[in-house]
Amino acid sequence: MTRGAAGADLLTAPNGSGLAAPLARRRPAFRRRVVRAAAPYALLTPAAVVITGVLAYPLYKLVRLSFQKYGLFELVRHKGEDIRFANYTHILHDSLFWHVVARTVLFAAVNVGLTIVLGTLIALLLERLGRTMRVLLTTGLVCVWAIPVVVSVAVFQWMVDFQFGVVNWLLTQLHIVDYQHHNWFTNPWQGFAVITALIVWGAIPFVAITIYAGLAQLPRELVEAAEVDGANAWRVFWNITLPVLKPIFVILISLSIIWDFQVFIQVWLMLGTTPSEDYYLMSVYSFVESFKISEYGLGSAIAVVMVLIMLSVTFVYVRQMVRIGEAD
Amino acid sequence: MRYLTAAALALALAIAAPTASGRTNAADAPTATSATTLRVWLMTDANGWMDVVNAANATFKAQHSGVDVKVEIQTWGDHLTKFDAALAGNNAPDVVEFGNTELAKYMAAGALADLTRYKAGFPNSKTWLQGLADAGTYRGKFYGVPYYAGARGVFYRKDFYKAAGITSLPTSLDAFSKDMAKLMKKYGKDSNFSALYFPGQYWYAAMSFVYDYGGAIARFKKGKWVGTLDSSLSQKALTRLKALVRASSRADRTGKEDTQDEVFAQGHVASLIGNGWEWGVITDPKTGNPALDAQLGAYPMPSHIKGKVMPTFLGGSNLAVPVTASDKQLAVDWIKAFTSTSSMRQLASGAGVIANTTVLANVNASKPKLAPFARAAARSWFVPNSPNWVQVENAKVLQNMLVAIFTGRKSIPAATKSASKQITSILNS
Repeated sequence: MTRGAAGADLLTAPNGSGLAAPLARRRPAFRRRVVRAAAPYALLTPAAVVITGVLAYPLYKLVRLSFQKYGLFELVRHKGEDIRFANYTHILHDSLFWHVVARTVLFAAVNVGLTIVLGTLIALLLERLGRTMRVLLTTGLVCVWAIPVVVSVAVFQWMVDFQFGVVNWLLTQLHIVDYQHHNWFTNPWQGFAVITALIVWGAIPFVAITIYAGLAQLPRELVEAAEVDGANAWRVFWNITLPVLKPIFVILISLSIIWDFQVFIQVWLMLGTTPSEDYYLMSVYSFVESFKISEYGLGSAIAVVMVLIMLSVTFVYVRQMVRIGEAD
Repeated sequence: MRYLTAAALALALAIAAPTASGRTNAADAPTATSATTLRVWLMTDANGWMDVVNAANATFKAQHSGVDVKVEIQTWGDHLTKFDAALAGNNAPDVVEFGNTELAKYMAAGALADLTRYKAGFPNSKTWLQGLADAGTYRGKFYGVPYYAGARGVFYRKDFYKAAGITSLPTSLDAFSKDMAKLMKKYGKDSNFSALYFPGQYWYAAMSFVYDYGGAIARFKKGKWVGTLDSSLSQKALTRLKALVRASSRADRTGKEDTQDEVFAQGHVASLIGNGWEWGVITDPKTGNPALDAQLGAYPMPSHIKGKVMPTFLGGSNLAVPVTASDKQLAVDWIKAFTSTSSMRQLASGAGVIANTTVLANVNASKPKLAPFARAAARSWFVPNSPNWVQVENAKVLQNMLVAIFTGRKSIPAATKSASKQITSILNS
């Protein structure tokens, strides 16, 4: 923003002060100013071209496909049949689709909530720990972060295995519940609990470390002043930490919403690449329609609706946060 | 405001990236397809018989000296995704291996070249395994050349059977059930023990019972598919299977069969129903237990009719030529070289799969690891050959029905009725 304003100043300046200046001196100066103003845009161009090519074009194709009948028959002939909104009316009248939407929203909400709350708690813990423990915990967090998704899915699968799983063994040994020979994926609520655990576990390091970095910049004197005034830890967090770190939370929550809304690979692999309808999230449903049933138009329409829902959720959230900020 | 701009940028990136990647990463780096390179997609299984592939390439090159053959190995998990992407990107290979249940969809969509006029020229085309030839035929036209087949039989632990007092292998379903009861009596105290390890979703094995009793998944009548799992014969078979599973299996009644070999290798299982090649998985040093090799045996699953074998699902592969192939004659010539009698003999004796022709049925008769499965293949069944079949599999109609039956969540009449209705509706849509 500020940089843009400075550029505008440079451009408008010659009109005001240039009249008195000799022509010979004015020309090069003007050119220099134009070059300086254009430089940022020139430098941005390669990146913009790459982003357009890599992101915008596929997005354009996706939206176009969603207005076409594009099955295997059309794929072979490289020609979709325009059917306007038929794909959209089809999915909007499909009761399975609405179940999937509701499930996706609930799933994302639970995951975002757990990730942010647990991540914040760990960040606060990190701040209060001694040096050794802090290094240990940070190392642990970074290790979790470094594990590829495919590997962590395999680890979780073995932990909840029907016959050999350590979770079933532990729960049975502790006499909490007899889970000898228990399949966690028979009941979708339990299955999603396992998937949620995996996703929250994997997402915490980023959130915790980012918030911890923010906490390190919290002005000490503010906290001390509040403590002198008799504020307890909760009041300090609510009235000082949270407002100061609000921008960080806005970004973390927005990113988490986006990530958790389009979770795919964890569900897909955890269910052995053949999830039943009980496990369809929007991303999974879109993939199945596209690549398993070869209805690429329909699959694209689902993906477009998913992006729209996701965008509107984040938009509403960010706007809300900015409004609150302005009121302050 | 600066944070907001950053957040907006991050948002734009995060949203765009996954939607884009899901759709475009499927195609591999394109290979230039000049008229002089023949590209062939074979599945990973071919790694086990690369000598056969190389011999076929040599034969082919002797006929067409200017042509290069490039064999690209694919995996079962994503080869159709890649094939779709290759079709879309005008980069499809010239010869493609398909699983025999995968062909129908592509034949119906016109993605494969009509090979009817070449059919008689393929080696052994008169004696191909009927099940594989049928899988490569759609509405009277021929598209997929039979490649090889696999059949399921019963793997068993000789030591367990002996200790339980089983002196001869069962030759009828009644005898089989009695033997399972003996095993449960002897070892059943171990809560992990299964006389027959049978996971609830194992529909390939379950449907064999249905076809054995004369039932079927669906039948084609007057131009329409009709789901027939609720017929009295199908229900009788499933009743029998339910009793057997509940009495002799402690496998997950809601689970899949994909880890059954690893479980078998742990030593608490006396029998399981598996493909011939699973012998190698059970005795694999990493995932299985090589020490079991001496105690491992196999026999064909017996029928409810004494002395007969139960029909097995005839799994297998066909080779097809995409419509986009530039020179179909070249592709056909390569397939001829690869499915010649000598290639097939090598495949059957070396790799232990079932050759595509009945002429070679006796190649494996003397091999204890292969003969039971070759005998099992004598009676076989196949899924309804409809382009919509894949949707029945995706919707898990059969798996859900079996789980409902084995867990007792639904009665057999209720479970079969709703499954049949669903199958009828999907196959005719």
